[in-house]
Amino acid sequence: MNEELDSQLSAMFDDELAHAECELLARRLSRDAELKARWGRYAMIAAAIRAERGVRLHAQVARRVSAIVVAEPALAAADPARGRQLRWWRPAAGAAVAAGVAAVSILWLRAQAPVSPASAPQPLSAAVTAAAGSSAEAPSAAAIPERATAGPVSYVVPPAPRGTVAVVPATELANYVVAHSMFTPPMARGNLLSSFITSESGSAGNNVAVSQDFAEDPPHDAHGAAR
Amino acid sequence: MSADASDLSLVRRVQRGDKGAFDALVLKYQHKLVKLVMRYVRNPAEAEDIAQEAFIKAYRALPQFRGDSAFYTWLYRIAINTAKNAVVSRDRSPIDYSIDRNADESYDMQGRMKDSETPEALVLTDEIRSTVNAAIEALPEDLRTAIVLRELEGLSYEEIAAAMDCPVGTVRSRIFRAREAIDRRLREVFEGGLGRAEELG
Repeated sequence: MNEELDSQLSAMFDDELAHAECELLARRLSRDAELKARWGRYAMIAAAIRAERGVRLHAQVARRVSAIVVAEPALAAADPARGRQLRWWRPAAGAAVAAGVAAVSILWLRAQAPVSPASAPQPLSAAVTAAAGSSAEAPSAAAIPERATAGPVSYVVPPAPRGTVAVVPATELANYVVAHSMFTPPMARGNLLSSFITSESGSAGNNVAVSQDFAEDPPHDAHGAAR
Repeated sequence: MSADASDLSLVRRVQRGDKGAFDALVLKYQHKLVKLVMRYVRNPAEAEDIAQEAFIKAYRALPQFRGDSAFYTWLYRIAINTAKNAVVSRDRSPIDYSIDRNADESYDMQGRMKDSETPEALVLTDEIRSTVNAAIEALPEDLRTAIVLRELEGLSYEEIAAAMDCPVGTVRSRIFRAREAIDRRLREVFEGGLGRAEELG
């Protein structure tokens, strides 16, 4: 037996061997039965010197464990160092997934939500209409959408911007009233629904007028008016 | 050089599928683990069974061992839990260590004789122990001091070098030579018929 190798084995047993040498010797130790037997005797000598009471120095634990481990499947080639390197992104990935889910949920809820007067694009208000009617001075260009200024100058029934919901259909308003019926007396609710039905069959101008009323007033004010 | 480099090298090999490296870890720690478990169970054979179970648990859990703590610390915890569970499941209470040392020793001897230790097993252990002690007595003083400081006091090579006022390399050499001398005596005894060579492992 190589004396230098044995000397290294003794130092490795004491955890006093350099890491690189440990790596090389561990490889050899795991395969060399004679080296392993010597390693086992070093452990026995240590136990004998420590005079560990009740401990059988010729214990067969190692042999029994080895027999069981041989029958076990080899451990997966997990690389703990790599696992440690990648551990940092787990919280970040979790946060990103949570944020993504939240964003999708918000978008979905917004898509599902009924178009309320408050969220609809603001048509030119009746107040502006009134001001236009009482004064010859037109609102400034900045206050009016470009598309509106491109159309005919009429502040009585302003044109709705194309591609957006400028008016709220009566059916949606009816749904809204039904959904908030707990705040509306039955009689007032019936009258309001009747007026919606009537306005549904009426002119487009009427629709616009109704929608403008809701556009100016928040929903709870509309309920108050309905009461 | 890290304190746990040797164990970690073996552990990494086991984690990569080298079962032979696990044998080396078991050989190194089997006596320590049995001694540890004997704080909870009195029967040496039962302690060995529990230590064996702890080693198997450790092997199966080794993919999760990241090396944040020393391997023996991790193994120690597994063994303690295994021993506690064994005590609970067998409805036994742990040994009370509040009793004085003499009482403990006398109890220990009685326990050993009552338990499943065979006379042959006791003779073998006593023979190994007396052989090691005789070999140590026969060592030159510098080798004896070095090996005793290492194994009995648990000093590092650097601490032993300071204590013996010599270089660390000399300490390493002395400890190695002491081990070789003791090992030679042990092999002579076993090859002489008391035990079989493979039982030394």
